[in-house]
Amino acid sequence: MFPTLAVMILLPTLAALVVALIPKRRSELVYPLALALSFVPLAMVLYVLWAFEVGVPGFQFTQQVLWYEPLGISWHVGVDGISLLLLVLTAILFPISIAASKSVEKNQKMYMVAMLLLETGMLGVFVALDLLLFFAFFEITLVPMYLLIGIWGSGNRVYAAVKFFLYTALGSALMLTGIIWLGSITGTFNFTQILDVSLTSTQQSWLFLGFGIAFAVKVPIFPFHTWLPDAHTEAPTAGSILLAGVLLKLGAYGFIRFNLTLFPDAAVRFAPWLAALAVIGIIYGAAVAIVQPDLKRLVAYSSVSHLGFIILGIFAMTSQGLTGGVIQMVNHGLSTGALFLLVGMIYERRHTRQISDYGGIAKVMPIFGGLFLFSVFASAGLPGLNGFIGEFKILLGSYLRFPVAAVLAATGVILAAIYLLWAYERVFTGPIVHKENKKLLDLDKREIMIVAPLAILILFLGIYPKPALDRIEPAVDEVLQRIEQTTSYTVPHFGMPDDLVNMGVGE
Amino acid sequence: MENIAFLPIAPEIAALAGAILVLMSAVALGQERKEWGVAGAITLLVSASLSVLQWLRLDSLGSARELAYSARGVTETVLGPMVVMDHFSAVIGIAIYLVAFLALVGNWRLVETLRSRGAEYVALVLLAAAGLHMMVISSNLVLLFMGLETASIALYVIAGFARVERNSDEASLKYFLLGSFASAIFIYGVALVYAGTGSLSIYGSAGIRQFFSTEPVAVINVGVLLAGIALIIVGLAFKVSAAPFHQWAPDVYQGAASGSVSLMAAGVKIAAIGALIRLLMGAFGSRADDWAPLLALLAVLSVVVGTIGAIGQQDLKRMLAYSSVAHAGFMLTAFVAGAIAIPSILFYLFTYVIALVGAFTVVGVVSGVRSGASAFDEYNGLFERSPWIAGSLAVFMLGMGGIPFFSGFVGKFAVFANAISAGYLWLVIVALVASIAGLFFYLRVVVIMFFEGPAKAEAPGTATAAPRMTGGSGFVILLAAGLTILLGVVPWPLLNVLHYVL
Repeated sequence: MFPTLAVMILLPTLAALVVALIPKRRSELVYPLALALSFVPLAMVLYVLWAFEVGVPGFQFTQQVLWYEPLGISWHVGVDGISLLLLVLTAILFPISIAASKSVEKNQKMYMVAMLLLETGMLGVFVALDLLLFFAFFEITLVPMYLLIGIWGSGNRVYAAVKFFLYTALGSALMLTGIIWLGSITGTFNFTQILDVSLTSTQQSWLFLGFGIAFAVKVPIFPFHTWLPDAHTEAPTAGSILLAGVLLKLGAYGFIRFNLTLFPDAAVRFAPWLAALAVIGIIYGAAVAIVQPDLKRLVAYSSVSHLGFIILGIFAMTSQGLTGGVIQMVNHGLSTGALFLLVGMIYERRHTRQISDYGGIAKVMPIFGGLFLFSVFASAGLPGLNGFIGEFKILLGSYLRFPVAAVLAATGVILAAIYLLWAYERVFTGPIVHKENKKLLDLDKREIMIVAPLAILILFLGIYPKPALDRIEPAVDEVLQRIEQTTSYTVPHFGMPDDLVNMGVGE
Repeated sequence: MENIAFLPIAPEIAALAGAILVLMSAVALGQERKEWGVAGAITLLVSASLSVLQWLRLDSLGSARELAYSARGVTETVLGPMVVMDHFSAVIGIAIYLVAFLALVGNWRLVETLRSRGAEYVALVLLAAAGLHMMVISSNLVLLFMGLETASIALYVIAGFARVERNSDEASLKYFLLGSFASAIFIYGVALVYAGTGSLSIYGSAGIRQFFSTEPVAVINVGVLLAGIALIIVGLAFKVSAAPFHQWAPDVYQGAASGSVSLMAAGVKIAAIGALIRLLMGAFGSRADDWAPLLALLAVLSVVVGTIGAIGQQDLKRMLAYSSVAHAGFMLTAFVAGAIAIPSILFYLFTYVIALVGAFTVVGVVSGVRSGASAFDEYNGLFERSPWIAGSLAVFMLGMGGIPFFSGFVGKFAVFANAISAGYLWLVIVALVASIAGLFFYLRVVVIMFFEGPAKAEAPGTATAAPRMTGGSGFVILLAAGLTILLGVVPWPLLNVLHYVL
């Protein structure tokens, strides 16, 4: 069988090599070539999306090659409904990020190489089914991202880069300990084989913590979030898009793939704690976002709040919550990606991110204002746009298990509307107070083209999420079935008539 | 006598003959000619090839995986065998001679700038390499000690070779005094072991290994024996620069001429770890329960002290010295698992010394082969000046830091897996936390090279031009960087080879 996934993972690395070999005197080729090559992995991913059989449980496109027998390491990759959409999201965000980096001047070649290597790492994480392979991809994404923030970031970039690296690496150290320990208990690092081994309750607790802290830092869950505002704010636009769009999802994905699936017993016990932290994150992130004077930092803190929703959905451990969590990962990637993209565009024009430096610019930049408002609505979860369906499912699902948490989290939706719309109001409406803003140019065709794919997807998933949900639900139900089989936990279901529930979830 | 009797000591013979040849030819040809330098480098390659030949010879012997030789070529004498030739000694020999070769070629400018004294330097390198390998082929504790001293005395002189430099004398004297002290401790340990077991040989029917597996050790002897083992461990811990016996390393690395540190750091590490493996797992293997806690203690102290020490350093060589303490600790963690861990330890050792030799070669190129200091300021914005050197040094740093897809990750994974399966989970957790904290100072080098602007012109003594590089240095740097990545992506060939050592 054709090793589709292996080729998909390696294509960006090959592209990086090609870009790296462009001689200095032809440096004008770097941007167009990198952009063109970034569409090749996208084509592969779209092929996987097209060929993926809906409704079939388990992994597809699996490929397993024993890599090193004495240590039980294999190259084992596969896709299921949970990873499928994250792959698509990753592959879509990369051409957009590269297109948004046209104005990078400092060593553009190395910038593009770092971006393409980052894509290999990110695609690899979502398909790896060997724990060590997963760890390797998980960890390697740090290096290009560290360079992206540290070299091409703004202001306090070195501090942000080092903080980002050390926070996440410290988490990974605990995960690596967990992986090695798990390997020594089970005798294998193969995900599907470990599924067959039953771990004791104590073992599961420690392993859950080891993996969980690594993912909690990555997501980030309150109180592990302090690296995020710095990294997001100082990163270049493309770095912010990828941080918010994909990198944070690695943690949430890890929670579902490993913590829920491999350590179900511990997951059931720890779920209330994680739900509590998630709710704190939702409200704390939103509250801090309201008072941010810096537009990019505001979007960064909104990520803390939104990722809180995702974690709440995951650890509600209901079909609706988990499905909502997964779809919301995609939604957040799209809408926050669009916001960071737009903030980056205005920053290129004015070189300031302070909200107070703007005001009334919707008059001079109507297209920009319109797209920004659209993204704000998507991020705030306006019905009809993608954010609504995810948040609604999460709230519905978590209400079944943690009613109080769901009610508290619902205030996060209102707070999101406050900080996003208030920011919009201060930046775009009213009179133009700063005269520099009077001659701001509106988005040109190229910039509109970059934002357009995100806007279209936001609208599409908002109106017709069924194709996405159809692919996520079987995979999610498989996870929940496993939890029910191995623990005494029963997944709560709604007692109300089915059609009412279905009406709510918008199908 | 048959050809085979010479094979176990053939690499040493070649290296010693080369040393004499170099000295003689320097006298005969005069100081303007540099042929002796080439002769020295070729000799090291010959010795390495002879080690390869040993390996192949052992393979052809099939089931008999290890051969022992006494001084007279007879295996059974009163004292037992003197020299042992097995896959382990052969692979260590390959590593030592190749490292010495790379250290010499990578710092060729040092040989050139030393002028007439260059021949002495090359001869000392050859002597040191021979002595280091002798530590690992010895099956007799006294012979092992002689190898240790041959290598150490050559290295004491090398440490002080750049006499004009201010710190070189200090480095040499410090190295000599502390090294002699460690040697004395080691030989006292040997004496106590001899008192306890009645043998100086490791293998053979009257050897130490046999003694432990048959004799029920009398109570009165146990104390003497354990004290002997402990003292031997302490003596060798000094050589591998494991904490708390590491204080010499930063000063010596910094004081000695940069071009000569590669051998001092990497070669000695290989030989000392090799000797530790030979003694602990060969001679005292059946007393593992007694020495394993001591090794675990040394490992923990080393990773903690090395990591904390490295964080505050402002000089690349000092930082590498402290990090080498931590790396010694990482390797020692796997000792607790016993002989099964040998391939992992060797893999870690080899990948680490490759990165270390590469890093010191970069130091030689950037900071100058003869100078001692290598302040971080000199590396400011190195990426702008010479991207290949900066990129390679970044690869070495990421490799030592243990980032996946670099060789250090596989090594760390392998040794930690061994330690965990031996039940030392706490040790691995401490080591992993230390290794992550270690990323801080490895990344700092990357930050300095990539993120900071080029050095400000007004700061005195800082280079703003691209450093000049000889072909040899470039070769060594790129080879080491290539291997660091290659062994991180496809480590299996080397790991498989190392499994033969078991």
